[in-house]
Amino acid sequence: MTKTIFLTLTLALAAAASAYDRSELAEFNDLYKNGRYEEALEGYKSALAQAPENPWAHYNAGNALFRLNRLGPAVLNYSRAFALNPRSADIRANLDYALRQTGQTLAPDNVPKALHYAYYLLSEREIKAAAILLFWLACLAGAARFLLDGSGPGLAAGSASLAAAGLLVLTLAWLGARQSSPFTAAGVAVKPGGARMLSGPGENFKTYASAPEGRLVKILDDGDDNYYEIGLPREGIKGWALKTEIEKL
Amino acid sequence: MKLFSALLLTAALAVSAAPARAGLSISAEVDRNAVEINGHLYLTVNVAGDSASVPEPKLANMQNFNVYNSGRSQSISIINGRIATSVSFSYILEPRFLGLQRIPPITVSDGKEQAATPEIEVTVTKAGQQGGPAHQAAQPRRSGRRQAAGTAAQGARQIFIKAEPDRRSAYPGEQITLSIKFYTSVPLSSNPQYVPPAFKNLISEDLPPVRNGETELDGVRYAFSEIKTALFGLTAGGAEIRPLSVIAQVPSNEPVDPFDPNFFQNLMAMSGAQGRSQEFATETIPLAIKPLPPGAPAGFGGAVGNYSITASADRSAAKTGEAVNFSVTINGTGNLKTVAAPKLPELPDFKVFDTMSSLDVKKEGDVISGKKTFTYILVPRAEGRKTVPALAFAFFDPGAAAYREVRTNPVVLQVEKGAEGAKSVYFNQPAPGGEAVTASGSDIRYVSEKPGAAALPRLAARAAALPPWLHAIPAALLALSFWLARFNRYRSANPLLFRFRRARGEASRDIQEAGALIKAGRNNEAVSVLYDSFLNYLSDKCGVKVSALTMRKAVALIKERFPGAGERALEEIRELWTALELRHFSPEASAAEGTADLAVKYALLLELLEAELKKP
Repeated sequence: MTKTIFLTLTLALAAAASAYDRSELAEFNDLYKNGRYEEALEGYKSALAQAPENPWAHYNAGNALFRLNRLGPAVLNYSRAFALNPRSADIRANLDYALRQTGQTLAPDNVPKALHYAYYLLSEREIKAAAILLFWLACLAGAARFLLDGSGPGLAAGSASLAAAGLLVLTLAWLGARQSSPFTAAGVAVKPGGARMLSGPGENFKTYASAPEGRLVKILDDGDDNYYEIGLPREGIKGWALKTEIEKL
Repeated sequence: MKLFSALLLTAALAVSAAPARAGLSISAEVDRNAVEINGHLYLTVNVAGDSASVPEPKLANMQNFNVYNSGRSQSISIINGRIATSVSFSYILEPRFLGLQRIPPITVSDGKEQAATPEIEVTVTKAGQQGGPAHQAAQPRRSGRRQAAGTAAQGARQIFIKAEPDRRSAYPGEQITLSIKFYTSVPLSSNPQYVPPAFKNLISEDLPPVRNGETELDGVRYAFSEIKTALFGLTAGGAEIRPLSVIAQVPSNEPVDPFDPNFFQNLMAMSGAQGRSQEFATETIPLAIKPLPPGAPAGFGGAVGNYSITASADRSAAKTGEAVNFSVTINGTGNLKTVAAPKLPELPDFKVFDTMSSLDVKKEGDVISGKKTFTYILVPRAEGRKTVPALAFAFFDPGAAAYREVRTNPVVLQVEKGAEGAKSVYFNQPAPGGEAVTASGSDIRYVSEKPGAAALPRLAARAAALPPWLHAIPAALLALSFWLARFNRYRSANPLLFRFRRARGEASRDIQEAGALIKAGRNNEAVSVLYDSFLNYLSDKCGVKVSALTMRKAVALIKERFPGAGERALEEIRELWTALELRHFSPEASAAEGTADLAVKYALLLELLEAELKKP
């Protein structure tokens, strides 16, 4: 029985791993290697059209855009790759490098690196999945505890349920803390020269600031058809910017 | 003068070096420990670090010396992949006070490490006390205090300033020496303030120290201070030395009227304690920067001056994969700061890595000279006798007004086969001793060929995509099991209550069973079932065991626990109990009709009792 389960899991993982076409990225990487960044970028975009959840296609697209000196879209792609796979050292390094080109940093200087790494150990989706798993575990173990009321296995199930519930609370707290991350409900100024910030959602409002290209911004409201209400937490200002100038993460 | 020295120092500090790395050290020395008040001494500060650049030292504000930046020289060595940099900063110090003077600790910091020199003591003596000739001409630094030939200055300018370039035209990069002289024949109330000129199409390099002396012009004895600056034209065309100025406190020459109400104030002003502020400025001096003549050699990179070139390797034998430091040194007069590295020819036998340069500038004789060394890292690819061919360096010699090309000698290296592990060379890698890595640059990391999302993110994506209602299932299971557990506990805690509630149902099932037995002709068994059922029913309702139950006790308990029960019901209990007991213990008396009647009577009694027992 154990062998059967192991074999099934192995096959499932292998199938998952082969879901994306390895040779396709390699082919575009050859273009990148030869300095044909525009063509490589088109290739990465086609790969992303087929598999938008592929962090490496975002990462490679970010590299091609960086080489083309399009910092805003490069930061956007690195950020998307980071959101999907925050544990990758390569993705972290290039995102940090691109952010530094725009006067930003991935990890604040006053935060220990280990703490920052732990904060971004899992992606938001992984935290949500962990919360779901713990919820199921807590409920089912709790049910077993009540059904096996008073017996030894029942007590063990009760302990497991309590532990899962405790972890669930911690996971939810982590998820809540991540809502203040610069990459949550965020966007990137992708327009060369920066995105104009207006005092209202329309051209008849005054332009009073601009978000430089590559700047991570908080998207406060996306209800308008043409404008995002964005915030720059570091400067403590907010305004409205065209959706064509800000790309949502 | 004080301002001038401050400006020089500020300019020196502004050229701040890049941040240093670990292993920072500093040392300082003076060329002598005793100096005359009208002399000067050289302070040399050595800063060493293990990175390609080291920060500039920070001199404390020295009130007892005028400080002039006198240049710097840098040397970089790479030994076994470890970079060691040493920079010597030279300063000229002019003492301002007699006696024992102290140079405070000089510090250097790269933001992580800090180092400091010990304090240096220097004895300043009166002029002429020391043996040997003075190093400098007489230095009336505060010329205003000196008693110049004031009486002879009648009819001539008392104070004036002159700015004279040594030539009015030059080639781009050719040195023009500008001499700025400030003359005074009267005592000044305070040190004059010097405002340096601005330049057009020129870059400047200071030529310290300030010279002071006395001279006679048109029969008038003047004290003067001279500042020299080296200028280099940038591009062909016009250039300008914009006006420079000196602001001095000039004593008033008006006679003092003894009857003036401000007599004492005017007298004090005459004594030199006060005066009027006067600015002395020069005119704009136009210069012509001549174009370089045509016919520049192919390798000409814009260097102007008079140079020689040498090349050398730090070893004559090496192994494949080992790093060899190959240095090219350009030596001579001219603005070496603008001299670019000579281009290496194609070297198929070597991998060529980064180039680093070190600069050693001298200002002897008011001529900018020195040497600039470019260090290349060469890694032999294959064994054998390998030659780095001669390198050419072209420059324009303004003295001869012609281009010249100088060459190095070829450098020969005997390369032996190295270990396999030495094929990959990282010359910035720390030595086996474990020194820190020095980054020479940074860039993004290379693209990835990884196939896509790993298993964990994919599983997470699937879990997060589950419909929300599905998560109600475990919650419902939990709630249901919780209710069941509570119910079981309640039932265990209240057995009589559940017997009471269950009695009617069990009795009904017994009646059905008895009816089946009657139909089967098994009357005796049917009576036994009815008898046991009736006793069990009464036992459940009264909450006592069957064995402890008698008819009288049962009736008494029912009356006690259910006061609403009527006498008719109690009488019916007595009759049924008696009839069932009679038939149970006298089986021969139980006929089929009688048994069926008992069953009906029992059923009717149950209906009656259920109604009666609910009465309050």
